[in-house]
Amino acid sequence: MGDPVIDVRDLSKHYADIKAIDGITFNVEKGEMFSLLGPNGAGKTTTVEILEGLRDPTSGEARVLGVDVRTGYRKIRERVGVLPQDFEPFDRLQPREAVAYWAQLFDRTLTKKEIDDLISTVGLSDRAETLAMNLSGGEKRRLGIAMSLVGRPQLVFLDEPTTGLDPGARRELWGLIRQLKKEGTTILLTTHYLDEAEQLADDVAIMNHGKIVARGSPAELIAQYGRGSTIVLAGAGEDGLRAVQARGITAELQGVDVVVKVPVASDMRRMLEKLASIDTPLNEIYTRRASLEDVFLSLVGARMQEGVLAT
Amino acid sequence: MNRILADMKAFGTQYLRSRVGTFFALIFPILLILLFGAIFGSSGSSPVTLYVQDLDNTPASHAFTDALNKTNVTTTRTIPGSTDFSQYIRDHSINVALQIPSGFQDALSKAQNGTVAIVNLTLAGDQTQSSYGIAVSAVEAVATRFNLQVAKAASVVDVLPTSIPGLRHLTYIDLFLPGIIGFTILSTPLFGMTAICAEYRSRRYFKLLATTKLSKPEWLAAKVIFHIVLLFASVALMVLVGILVFGLKAVVTPMAILIIIAGTLEFTSLGMALGIFVRDPETGAAIANAIGFPMMFLAGSFFPVDAMPAFLQTGARFLPLTYINEGLRATMTFANDATALVDLLVTLGFAAVFFVVAARGLSWKSK
Repeated sequence: MGDPVIDVRDLSKHYADIKAIDGITFNVEKGEMFSLLGPNGAGKTTTVEILEGLRDPTSGEARVLGVDVRTGYRKIRERVGVLPQDFEPFDRLQPREAVAYWAQLFDRTLTKKEIDDLISTVGLSDRAETLAMNLSGGEKRRLGIAMSLVGRPQLVFLDEPTTGLDPGARRELWGLIRQLKKEGTTILLTTHYLDEAEQLADDVAIMNHGKIVARGSPAELIAQYGRGSTIVLAGAGEDGLRAVQARGITAELQGVDVVVKVPVASDMRRMLEKLASIDTPLNEIYTRRASLEDVFLSLVGARMQEGVLAT
Repeated sequence: MNRILADMKAFGTQYLRSRVGTFFALIFPILLILLFGAIFGSSGSSPVTLYVQDLDNTPASHAFTDALNKTNVTTTRTIPGSTDFSQYIRDHSINVALQIPSGFQDALSKAQNGTVAIVNLTLAGDQTQSSYGIAVSAVEAVATRFNLQVAKAASVVDVLPTSIPGLRHLTYIDLFLPGIIGFTILSTPLFGMTAICAEYRSRRYFKLLATTKLSKPEWLAAKVIFHIVLLFASVALMVLVGILVFGLKAVVTPMAILIIIAGTLEFTSLGMALGIFVRDPETGAAIANAIGFPMMFLAGSFFPVDAMPAFLQTGARFLPLTYINEGLRATMTFANDATALVDLLVTLGFAAVFFVVAARGLSWKSK
């Protein structure tokens, strides 16, 4: 394995009244999709802006593509693509014009075909000559991704790329982000959507109050903090609950469903066999894997909705 | 250089697609010229309406009224002799009115026959209005002429109105156009750039730009060059309308072009320097208005600086627009490039200070 694309060590950013980042350490390998996950105010954007050379850290070290961002970010600008949080395109430029303009700011002059290809990559071919102010929220973000790709970057920062978008637009962007990863681009994605990190990221760091509280692949985090899986006897009702409890199995009734927790993955098969032998009317039996949402709840002690911790 | 041109092109495209910006940069100055040109037009200014109540109603009093009309400074209208003079003025909100008393002709006749006689004309009006002063001057001039005739004396000191030797025959528009160009040099870049800085900050464009290879001085330069091109287009339109509609004779000299360039650099930079303090579009508009509006009136864009009270004239010396207005008038109207050169140098000095402040103070990064 070569040098990490991003190497952050004991990084801190303190303001007079708050520690926005408090001694975080992580690295991102080439071709990896790394996600910083956490509620609003956790320190995700501050971390990313330090890595983009837009803020100076209070202490610690941050290296991107082998360069200390405090002193050498200028050297790597064209190798890095950035989609900032709440990205808004220039209202009165068409996507085609915006992409051509942005490329020139990296000293690249794109041919018409190159522009068309880039616009096509983000699925905006039909809207290439529409003023940006008339694009939908999802289309604007896709234009932002196209602009971030004009320099054919090795590393792309996507800071909350799907915040505020409807579910359909989010899934469209997920497809685009997966495509980037498939092409070998290293991606740092910040998000407060747990399902987004779970769907897209190879590696996740959960941030809260400026600290990384857990780090690993979604599967590892779920295995470590997710408290196992669940078997659901859909529609089994109270009769089903009594039948299950009669076999000495702990279960609870959620609506008309009987829910059985299986904390250890290796017990799943045995438990399924036991439950399948129960003769009680039900609609179906299915298993539900623990998710990052369970991990987050376990680590932070609260659920997160639209980036805000539920009390 | 390519980055500057790219940024200028993208900015210009957006600017020209914004109808508001185009209107204020290109159309509004033309409207001002047409409006003021029509008001003050070819004869310099319109006559003051002077209401006259002729209680004498004799050939002599009629001759006095006729003489007032022939001055071309006043136009008389009649107040009926049967009405109360003061009440009529109040009821009709009249600025200035003259009352010729009965016995006016008798007094003149007695004087011509060597008998001492005095007749007092009453001139009532709002003394805060400039029209009152004009009417007083006209009435006094006609009265003086009547006195000389009665005294059978010849005029010794007389005035011969003439153009300034060596200069083209100038009209109001020749004196007004440099001020309007100065006004446009102030308003288009100053208001525009303050708003742009506010928008770029609130929409995080500065941060976005900071991730590219475009440097801050390059971004500033692109805006300056764009505004210079825009101002040249605006001045060309103004001059064209001035020539076609009002027979403009003032000339856009090479020195005027240099002052326009320096002035645009100055106010584009000032707009960006003010952008340092701007956090949102509302603050931007407030700051630009607070600085721009007093300056455009105090620096002689619409009224000559030397017509102002002494303390305001002193204050005007500290306003950058004063030197642009005076320099443009000096070179365009009076062909006085030596004076204009001093104004150009002062303008360049202001421009350099504002550009350095903007380049150093305007931060794209977060703290």
